[in-house]
Amino acid sequence: MPTTDRLRDGLAREIGAERILSGPSVERTYESDAYNVDRSQPTVVVLPESTDEVAKVVRWCRREGIPFTARGAGTGLSGGAMPALGGVVISTKKLNRILEIDLPNRRMRAQAGVTNIALSKAVAAHGLHFAPDPSSQTVATLGGNIAENSGGPHTLKYGVTAPHILGLTLIDAEGEILELERGFGPDWIGMVVGSEGTLGVVTEAWVRLTPVPEHVETALACFGTVREASECVSAIISRGVLPAALEMMDRNILMALRAAFGLEFPDATQAMLLVECDGPREACRQEIEAVEQAFRDFGAITQQRARDAAERAKLWTARKKGVGAMGRLAPSVVTHDGVIPRSKLPEMLDAVYEIAARYQIGVANLFHAGDGNLHPCFYFDDRDPRQVEAVVAAGTEVIQKCIELGGSVTGEHGIGVEKLDLMGLMFSPGDLAYQARLKEIFGTNELCNPCKVLPNQRGCQEHRLRWRGVAT
Amino acid sequence: MSNHHDLEELTTHCIRCGFCLESCPTFKITGAEPESPRGRIYLVRGALEGKLPWQEIQEPLDHCLGCRACETACPSGVEYGAILELARERLGSKPATKALLTGLTNPGLAKIQFTLGRMLPGKRMPAALSRLIAGSPAEADLPRPQPTIPWPELDESKLPPVTGQVALVLGCVMRVLYDPVHTATKRLLRRVGLETVEIAAPCCGALHAHAGMLDEARTRAQQMAAAIPPGIPIVLNSAGCGSTMREYGFLDPGLSGIANRVRDLSEILLEHGMVEALREAQGFGGKRITYHDACHLAHGQKVTQPPRELLKAIPGAEFVEIDEADTCCGSAGIYNVVQPQMARALLERKWGHIAASGASLVSTGNPGCLAWIEQKSRETGQQIAVEHTAITLERAWG
Ligand SMILES: Cc1cc2nc3c(=O)[nH]c(=O)nc-3n(C[C@H](O)[C@H](O)[C@H](O)COP(=O)(O)OP(=O)(O)OC[C@H]3O[C@@H](n4cnc5c(N)ncnc54)[C@H](O)[C@@H]3O)c2cc1C
Ligand code: SF4
Ligand code: SF4
Repeated sequence: MPTTDRLRDGLAREIGAERILSGPSVERTYESDAYNVDRSQPTVVVLPESTDEVAKVVRWCRREGIPFTARGAGTGLSGGAMPALGGVVISTKKLNRILEIDLPNRRMRAQAGVTNIALSKAVAAHGLHFAPDPSSQTVATLGGNIAENSGGPHTLKYGVTAPHILGLTLIDAEGEILELERGFGPDWIGMVVGSEGTLGVVTEAWVRLTPVPEHVETALACFGTVREASECVSAIISRGVLPAALEMMDRNILMALRAAFGLEFPDATQAMLLVECDGPREACRQEIEAVEQAFRDFGAITQQRARDAAERAKLWTARKKGVGAMGRLAPSVVTHDGVIPRSKLPEMLDAVYEIAARYQIGVANLFHAGDGNLHPCFYFDDRDPRQVEAVVAAGTEVIQKCIELGGSVTGEHGIGVEKLDLMGLMFSPGDLAYQARLKEIFGTNELCNPCKVLPNQRGCQEHRLRWRGVAT
Repeated sequence: MSNHHDLEELTTHCIRCGFCLESCPTFKITGAEPESPRGRIYLVRGALEGKLPWQEIQEPLDHCLGCRACETACPSGVEYGAILELARERLGSKPATKALLTGLTNPGLAKIQFTLGRMLPGKRMPAALSRLIAGSPAEADLPRPQPTIPWPELDESKLPPVTGQVALVLGCVMRVLYDPVHTATKRLLRRVGLETVEIAAPCCGALHAHAGMLDEARTRAQQMAAAIPPGIPIVLNSAGCGSTMREYGFLDPGLSGIANRVRDLSEILLEHGMVEALREAQGFGGKRITYHDACHLAHGQKVTQPPRELLKAIPGAEFVEIDEADTCCGSAGIYNVVQPQMARALLERKWGHIAASGASLVSTGNPGCLAWIEQKSRETGQQIAVEHTAITLERAWG
């Protein structure tokens, strides 16, 4: 029997034919996530509706020796949801219910496919929200946020996803249903969060609900040099202000936003800072005034403060849609992700511009300036294999530079397949072997989201060229 | 073939970020990526690059509502509506869809068909015809013309002087099914000092354009343009037509001038002081009302606030928002005829939100949405009135 039929029929017996998608249009649309460089097609896609159904699918895959990969919204930026060795994609898009809201304990239980924003909306009337806020929050799922340990502009003050996860239901690689809680003993949850779907499939989670701040102030300033803007960031923090968000956009991002949304800024601008403070009204006002003083001290060309919620939303739309706006410049964007000490930013940006120029590809930079997380975004034409190779090579140089400056390979987008080769730059072979051992605790095997995170997995090397589309 | 538009070029603006996924009604219902905007664009691109055969992408494209909610969500400015129309043109339309469109968009023919339809047992489209077009049983009742409303004569002494003229496009479906909406429209325009010139050209070409019959659409657009007097604003009270007419430049660059004069009725009324005029109206003491965004108004023309501001200005009306107000109701031109099951699923979802709001009246700005949501209202015992915004506003005067 052809493979597709075998998988479809076998899984149909487990969870019903109507939960299974297959065929050329399915293979194509699930071949990659938002990382456009590597592609690999699934044989079938399943849309289970319960923890039990996921467990059945995983057990069946295990029995039959078929690889499986979880997928939420497919907004990942490192190829995590790409089914590297084909097989089954387990989509969480039908695991989309909020199950329990426990207001007294400020927690909520939801299925993995619920979008980040839906979590916050469900409790907005009670003045609460789910604090991690990746820019992709209108679509990215809870499961994806957990797998990538996603952050967002407000991570500076509220932390990444990990501290906001209080409990998990995980189908491990053997198909066992595990209920993980915070408590004594090893930090199981901490191990699963950020493991990029390699330890199993998360079907449900208890999330922490955080009060919406009483008051918010948002201010924006344009600077004539990246150095002034960077020094201003350091000054804000060293003066004892802890903004909720502190974002920097370089000139190229601003140009894309100008083209896309008519964003206005002075022509001499090289960098823009967006700063948000929140908390009790009076404290918040003092903080934003301190920020504005810093803007002035470091020679901001212009500055403005949002007068109301509508103006604030406008300032943020520009920031949150910055990467998307680049779609107007070229068919593909690879958003890189590295971490550097804040003080090294001017040097780092010079290096990024130099590397991009050398490889003749366009680049624009977004920077979570508060925590040193830099996103250089390369824009290029993914139909041209030479450009694809150039983007990969340039990305490697960017990350090497991050490490050279004392930073790290990823802030929040994960390793996936994108950064497999770069793991060796950060970790010794001994470290990597130890990480591989860790996976075994969860009874992991070569079927659960194979070829991700850890380099040199069996059977993966020979597939690399195929993913990269240079061996079609 | 419209050679001035490069379909491939249009698809390359999609960077596959996925930001559009949750705005797409068919993706929300199915959870399946081929039924999402990102998926559909990538499929079109795949077919163009020869990665998969065109017939493999027919079904996902057939399922698309053409509601363009994805355009509103997209940060990259992807022109999905244009991609869809051009891709449908490449695929060619089914003969039965063509026949249906010819009947619908010719006012004389449509009248005969609707009348014939109502003489048949049951109210639905005959099963044989439905299967021919959709391959499954019909969900949509045959539309029936709205009975005329006996408005009293306007009292000229209480009206402001006439200060200008506007051209009102009567359209095809609208004229046959919702003639009272045109009457209400003219009365409202007069209430803010505008005189109406009626444009009787048969059809604007919208339904043809959405089905990818671009040549047919272009001919109709040119006929329409020739029938409109120069200089004055062109008013539409049908969202689908307005959206296509605003984009006439896509069909024929020579028609961009006409396109720039097109306005939705709600915009014109708001600009000419309807909010102030409504202060004199008797209003609806205590009635709770809501609004459903027609896709081609909210996403196609980006008009969302003017109708709301007008409805909120009705004395005594309590305006509430429904959840997912700007999500498609499933009517989508002829979609509820060619894709009955998906259309039904969307209607049920929409109705759930309307019922939950506690409103006793829902207004909207497009004939397709009206007929479709009205049907649900009839099925549930007509507890909630479904009206064109123009009717609601005019009824504020009693
Ligand atoms: C324009 C843009 C902006 C972005 N901005 C940010 C940002 O500000 N901060 C940030 O951190 N990220 C950002 N991202 C990256 C991405 O949105 C996040 O990583 C997000 O959390 C992924 O969620 P998803 O549902 O799309 O997951 P997917 O892409 O579907 O999957 C991501 C990984 O999670 C695994 N996975 C998914 N669901 C499960 C599950 N239920 N159980 C186990 N594993 C699972 C997959 O196997 C894969 O490895 C951005 C992406 C884009 C395109
Ligand atoms: S259509 Fe727009 S929002 Fe959707 S994936 Fe493409 S670029 Fe992103
Ligand atoms: S037009 Fe509507 S149905 Fe079609 S892809 Fe866009 S959002 Fe989905």
